Amino acid sequence: MARVLILGYGNPLRCDDGVGWHAAVQLFRTNARPEVEVLPCRQLTPELAELVSHAETVLFLDGSHESQAGEFRCEEVRALEGNPAFTHHLSPGSLLAMARDLYGVFPRAWLLTVGGQSFEVGEKMSPEVEGALSTLKARVRELIAEVIGDYAAAG
Amino acid sequence: MNGVEQRTITIDPVTRIEGHAKITLQLNEQGQVDDAHLHVTQFRGFEKFSEGRPFSEMPALMARICGICPVSHLMASAKACDALLAVRIPPTADKLRRIFGLAQVVQSHALSFFHLSAPDLLLGMDADPKKSNLFGVLEVNRELARDGIRLRQFGQQVIERLGGKRIHPAWVVPGGVSEPLTELNRDAILAGIPELVVIADRTLQWFKGIMENFRLEIASFGNFPTLFLGIVKRDGGLTFYDGGIRIVNAAGDVVASGLDPATYGEFLGEKVEPWSYLKSPYYMPTGYPGGIYRVGPLARMNVADRCGTPKADQELAEFHELQRTAVLSSFHYHHARLIEILYCLERMEQLLNDPEILSKHVRAVAQANAFEGVGCCEAPRGTLIHHYKIDESGLIRWVNLIIATGHNSLAMNRAILQVAKHFVRSEHLTPGMLNRVEAVIRAYDPCLSCSTHAVGEMPLRIQLIDASGNLKDEVCRPL
Repeated sequence: MARVLILGYGNPLRCDDGVGWHAAVQLFRTNARPEVEVLPCRQLTPELAELVSHAETVLFLDGSHESQAGEFRCEEVRALEGNPAFTHHLSPGSLLAMARDLYGVFPRAWLLTVGGQSFEVGEKMSPEVEGALSTLKARVRELIAEVIGDYAAAG
Repeated sequence: MNGVEQRTITIDPVTRIEGHAKITLQLNEQGQVDDAHLHVTQFRGFEKFSEGRPFSEMPALMARICGICPVSHLMASAKACDALLAVRIPPTADKLRRIFGLAQVVQSHALSFFHLSAPDLLLGMDADPKKSNLFGVLEVNRELARDGIRLRQFGQQVIERLGGKRIHPAWVVPGGVSEPLTELNRDAILAGIPELVVIADRTLQWFKGIMENFRLEIASFGNFPTLFLGIVKRDGGLTFYDGGIRIVNAAGDVVASGLDPATYGEFLGEKVEPWSYLKSPYYMPTGYPGGIYRVGPLARMNVADRCGTPKADQELAEFHELQRTAVLSSFHYHHARLIEILYCLERMEQLLNDPEILSKHVRAVAQANAFEGVGCCEAPRGTLIHHYKIDESGLIRWVNLIIATGHNSLAMNRAILQVAKHFVRSEHLTPGMLNRVEAVIRAYDPCLSCSTHAVGEMPLRIQLIDASGNLKDEVCRPL
């Protein structure tokens, strides 16, 4: 089982909403380390809790409505307390809560976001968001290296 | 209005369904519900923007309609393309496609039952809305929550092993599938099935045990006579992949059987109502709206004579005992869904043990040989029809899609009306009222993203509006 799980999520058919998904696809293509699992997905769903439960560190990659276009943010995420809402998708905090409540585990987790500008139908990301991808990936590699030591993936 | 005051309650957006909807409840001056409408307020238009694309791109393109049931769209689309090629696909490809579809049903039904409807079933219809979700289930019955995750995960893993991707796999192609199944993947899938059969069986027994607690809901949750429609094998057995359309009436009598899905236009009409982007198909011989019918798990259990696998057959026989006629209450969609999960697992095992299943001959190659093709299969939510017309260059000129949730449009509206008449009694909505109105929709497990091909998240909202158009009450359940 991988020690670091990277979940890059979003809708690549909604322009900047797909930034997390695109980042995960690029990381997936360059990752050669078995300790690192990269999973691009459309949204966070309950069955991911089991994967999360096996990881030491989970990195969530997402687009953000709240930041400026191209603004990169990285913050630690903790499992939500209480009874988080659930419809057909989850937030990073509620997925961590699920892993905690179902499997009794507390992986460290980080949410890495890039602020988006356009969330309309389309496959092309804004230049600002495209430009921030390398910053996001560089930070991902640093966080991986903190867990497994030197991480020399290309890209 | 003839001097009769009417008020309207609107539920917008509807939560714990796939897609975006609003419910309007029309009240009369006595505060009783007179009419109800499910408004589907999103539109995406896949039929239009497919025009001009090469037909060979259609399966991959159509799979993008939905993140929950891409496999069903892939399947119906590939079958429509098979018809354009005018080929019979290799037998192994046929079986692999069936396994792919069964896995899709398992994961989709698991989402519907365990994640979306289990809160109502386990915690009750009057539970605190803040607790009435998967986390609430987890607090009360951890095994149920874990079972749901395991089933869904298994379905996803089978799709990934066959299709190479979890979301939007493009392994099903015109003429068959792109890659044969490896021995490694076959053995891995087979190894997982026994555990899942135990889970499916355990959940069925649990559900049958709690049904008694929902007598009121069974009586009022879309419990009315309609036709039921689904595809069945030639011998009347359950199938998700291929067969003739069978229609039974509320008495359980077969009204039509062996109908070629390619001729759907001869017996299915598609009505458009001004209050929804969702089309309202109906059975033409009985007119509109008298031709109301239901599709999906409940309909499949009503149209099929047998499942063809041992455990599911036993459960189906018991299911048919629920009512001497067809089983009418939409509450039993849940029950039917669980039987289908069991069937899918058993059937998958049968197909994977077929000696031909590892054959490398999995694709028939041809150019387009017909200008028109129809593909039909049973998606988790019901019968799915893709109909394409192409020009001499193989470019798409016209597309029509009839989606499972669309077939159920009339029935969902009537079910909402029935529930609302039964439970909504004032100008102010209580959580219990709201939840029952939502729960009856969830029984159908509508996928509005599919049926209108919309994008984005879909919450639920209810508004109460009087005859003069004044807002009396409004409830919104945020995501």
